Amino acid sequence: MRLIPSVTLLRSTALLTGLSLLSACEGRQSVLNPAGRDAQDVLGLIWVMFGGAALLWFLLGAIFAYVTRVEPREMPRRWGEALIIGGGVIFPVILLGALLAYSLPMMAPQRAAEEGLKVHITAEQWWWRVAYELPDGRRIVSANELRLPVGRRTGLVLNAHKVIHAFWVPALGGKVDMIPGRETYLSFQPEEPGVYRGQCAEFCGASHALMAFETVVMTPEDYAAWLEAEAADAQKPASAEAYRGAEVFAREGCGACHTVRGTSAAGQVGPDLTHVGSRKSLGAGILQMTQDDLSRFVAHTEAIKPEVAMPSYDHLTLKDLRALAAYLKGLT
Amino acid sequence: MSDIRDEQDAHEFRAEALSLWRITFGPLIWALHFVCSYGATALVCAKAGAEAVPVLRMGIGIGTLLALALIFWFGLQAWRQWDLRRDREWENDAGTGEDRHQFLGHAGFLLAAISFIGVVYVALPALFIGTCA
Ligand code: HEC
Ligand SMILES: [Cu+2]
Repeated sequence: MRLIPSVTLLRSTALLTGLSLLSACEGRQSVLNPAGRDAQDVLGLIWVMFGGAALLWFLLGAIFAYVTRVEPREMPRRWGEALIIGGGVIFPVILLGALLAYSLPMMAPQRAAEEGLKVHITAEQWWWRVAYELPDGRRIVSANELRLPVGRRTGLVLNAHKVIHAFWVPALGGKVDMIPGRETYLSFQPEEPGVYRGQCAEFCGASHALMAFETVVMTPEDYAAWLEAEAADAQKPASAEAYRGAEVFAREGCGACHTVRGTSAAGQVGPDLTHVGSRKSLGAGILQMTQDDLSRFVAHTEAIKPEVAMPSYDHLTLKDLRALAAYLKGLT
Repeated sequence: MSDIRDEQDAHEFRAEALSLWRITFGPLIWALHFVCSYGATALVCAKAGAEAVPVLRMGIGIGTLLALALIFWFGLQAWRQWDLRRDREWENDAGTGEDRHQFLGHAGFLLAAISFIGVVYVALPALFIGTCA
């Protein structure tokens, strides 16, 4: 008896969270809201496939209904044979063959060569190492965020460290595996400026679900300006608190794992922090880039991201943590 | 008396052994076509340049036509062996030599049909995708 209300409650909460999740997304991470050429192609393919499947399903259903409900009598042998061979063999073979023929030519364009930049993305546990390769071969290192110019095709050279991950920004294009020691390639041509969410789509360990990133699509002018800023060294601390934060950063040895270009910090184990403060999210798409979240992340890393390679700095005083956060937030 | 029957059975069995083999030919050709097409594509795309791709597609095309012709030929033989047109017997479920013979034709025909479709589907990517990308 007591089970019933709780089940109803569970169900309605599940429904409510489902609904609020749906509305919270606003299509930022939805195949149904394409913001680029490649995602439009994928969506078109989805509808055609769905249409073909629906046609097959309804037709077979209609035949079943006909022979069991409408006309359940024995029919002439020829009729029966025509129905089974025609409807059960020839029609599906032709329909599936047509769908296959429609989908196959779409594969190559999703990997078309880039027109401008190439971005190298390496999946780590559980974050993204990112390097922008300029046409002159120079590389600009960043992390946990992808920025793309609108209207131009950018190449994505994918790789992984240790285990398999998968790269997926549903609003911009298809999904591709990231395999240790093996380069895979994908390219995006975004058409609408905006911020779209990407997510690791292949189980890669304890914090797999916490491995996401923001993709920022910008106008070419904004993009050029951003790229120039990203190539520059880190900004100097601009306040007394931030200055103190830089000291804590050096004292605690954060630089053994993190790089902040223009300082002595040159570690390669964790994400590059040179411009961490300009990112749209923190911790690979899971927290906000605010002073509060920054100090929370540094103090309770393991609680926020299970099995993470970064130690939790919960021994630091609140003042040190706030200072660290101010310093990091100022690295724009 | 029983010796004669045994001998007759043995004789029939020997004659049927070949059609027991024959029902595997359709799927075998399908498997061979699959391995060759995918193996050749992997090799060409990994080791050779883009200029080898048209040759590869041509090769797959010829291999496909050959495979389809062979499967068609085996299918036709099996169809004749099933002998549906003459006796209109869809099922051959009696334990007689004739039914065994026709049943093997039936099975061989269906396997040839599915192998034919399989080979066509395997070849479609080579027809519609012109690059290694
Ligand atoms: C043992 C190596 C290691 C040390 C030492 C370390 N980190 Fe990290 N850090 C990591 C790794 C690995 C990640 C990525 C975690 C993840 O998201 O999966 C990370 C992530 C971060 C991030 C998030 C970056 C982003 O792009 O969102 C910040 C901020 C950060 N660390 C700050 C610090 C600070 C401050 C210290 C010193 C108090 C520190 N780290 C010490 C390895 C380290
Ligand atoms: Cu992952």
